[in-house]
Amino acid sequence: MSELALFLVRTGFVVVLWIFIFNIISVIRADLFGQKVVSRVASANAPQVVSAPIAPNAPGSLVMEPNGSNATKLVIVEGDRTGHNIALDRRELTIGRAEDSDLIVDDEFASTHHAKLVLINNDWLIQDLNSTNGTFLDGSRVGTPAVVKLNTPVRVGKTVFELRA
Amino acid sequence: MTDTASISLPKIVRVIPRNRNIEFLLLLFAVGLYAFELAQIQLSVLEILTPELLMYWVPPTLFAFAIHFILRRRASEADPMILPIAVVLNTLGLSMIYRLDLGTIANAGTELFGVKQIVWTMIAMAVAAIVIIYVPSHLFLRRYVYVSMVIGIALLLAPSLPFIGRSINGARLWIGIGPFTFQPGELAKIALTVFFAGYLVTRRESLALTGRKILGMRIPRARELGPILVIWAASLLVLILQRDLGTSLLYFGLFIVLVYVATGRAIYVVVGLTMFLTGALVASRLMGYVSGRIDSWLNPFDSKNYDAVGGSYQLAQGIFGMAHGNLLGTGLGGGIPHLVPLAESDFIIASLGEELGLVGMFAILIMYLLFVSRGMRIGFNHPDDFSKLLATGLSFVIALQCFIVIGGVTRVVPLTGLTTPLLAAGGSSLLANWIIVGVLLRISDSIGSGDKYVAEVK
Repeated sequence: MSELALFLVRTGFVVVLWIFIFNIISVIRADLFGQKVVSRVASANAPQVVSAPIAPNAPGSLVMEPNGSNATKLVIVEGDRTGHNIALDRRELTIGRAEDSDLIVDDEFASTHHAKLVLINNDWLIQDLNSTNGTFLDGSRVGTPAVVKLNTPVRVGKTVFELRA
Repeated sequence: MTDTASISLPKIVRVIPRNRNIEFLLLLFAVGLYAFELAQIQLSVLEILTPELLMYWVPPTLFAFAIHFILRRRASEADPMILPIAVVLNTLGLSMIYRLDLGTIANAGTELFGVKQIVWTMIAMAVAAIVIIYVPSHLFLRRYVYVSMVIGIALLLAPSLPFIGRSINGARLWIGIGPFTFQPGELAKIALTVFFAGYLVTRRESLALTGRKILGMRIPRARELGPILVIWAASLLVLILQRDLGTSLLYFGLFIVLVYVATGRAIYVVVGLTMFLTGALVASRLMGYVSGRIDSWLNPFDSKNYDAVGGSYQLAQGIFGMAHGNLLGTGLGGGIPHLVPLAESDFIIASLGEELGLVGMFAILIMYLLFVSRGMRIGFNHPDDFSKLLATGLSFVIALQCFIVIGGVTRVVPLTGLTTPLLAAGGSSLLANWIIVGVLLRISDSIGSGDKYVAEVK
């Protein structure tokens, strides 16, 4: 092979090796800081081309869950993701900045593992997980776990959500 | 419900784990890189592509994707980066060993390592797959904490036994049966990590909370220092019996770091390092072998050391090789790395430094860094204490081994005989490190993030 070709192959290999490393680093970055926060915010603000909400919204179709609680979903009423909702089909729901939270809040005022909702004796309880800036139930800071009534605002960082039937 | 009925809402969907798809793409990249290496070597050394390329390329590729598909079935939440990084390091080592074999053939030598290394790579990857399939949870290891202590010590001391113990290049680290030799110390590092992790989980409170406060530092009680003294004595015994500074530093360092992780008290690191340095200093005064190594480290170009048997010739040759490589390297197949003794095992990093240059060497170091950081993150994220210590210990042992070997070759610390994890020729080392890969993948799968609910982003 000519000198030039050899040089290109030689540097080419090292370049490709570094591209592999940068690929891995970009995956790690997504893992550490969450993926494309911007697009999530943008999609929340963008004109919504979407399907119907999951929960049945005709008053007559309000079905009691087997466990007796009549809250069926969590609706975000303030914050980046206003209007989004999450079905309450489990007994526990974690809230925080961590990528493995059930409700992820991209917000510098929220902690990694900020709070969690737990279903106990047919009531949803909000428990603050020693968060830095606190969790507020209807305006007052949550100390010991407190029962969250329907349509009561709960604030985590800049995000406010309510439980709806 | 009337308020939300008017606004249409995005649908909430369950996020399917993307981990395995990321891993698939990175693996494709990894085996592509391997093909690039082999082709470049054949074109620069033989100036023609031969079918031997496929003999080298196909087996590791098949086994890597086999592990990938096993992970899809059995451990779909496992970390996506560990496997591709391990594959890149292992295949880079294979390429370099093949390249050194070609150099040996050109010089009419007969001692070849390539085929052996491929066979060991297949065995080691198969064992990693078995770990992933048949070990339902790494927590079962916790039941065998003291069994693994016995196994670890037995493996560590096996080379010192008569008949089966073998001495190679002055260090007594091998056992041999007929023509087969094996370095049991490599497997001992896994057994001892299991033991240290299991032991420290039960003792962490007393290690962490007892002791009197003097000058702002809590000094541990004498009885808490007992186990550290035992491990210290054992590592000095290894140093004396097997004449190997690296192995003893590896185990003692691993223990000290796990004590630190379990308790969060820096005093143990200070005490441990002081003890080890004192021990090593005394050993260097009493044992010619250690002081010789230190002299070769400080003055490798001194003709007294350079010409001595077991002196600094190898170290100096490795440095000349890396200097020859310069910034960008001579290109794979373009250098003369086979001039260095043991270029395929202890000095493989010098061979790679010569042919890939400083830029390539840094790439390799960063891959180790990423591998270890993933392992540490698995430990950090895991809710269970035993798993935390196990993952941290297994990844730290790889980091420390890299430091001791690569530091030895580049004259940061005195040179000792350990293998570069996953890169160097040698079956026992490959086997042990692939088992570590398997266990780390198993642990990372069990972190369990649960179902994620995220608004669908189109």
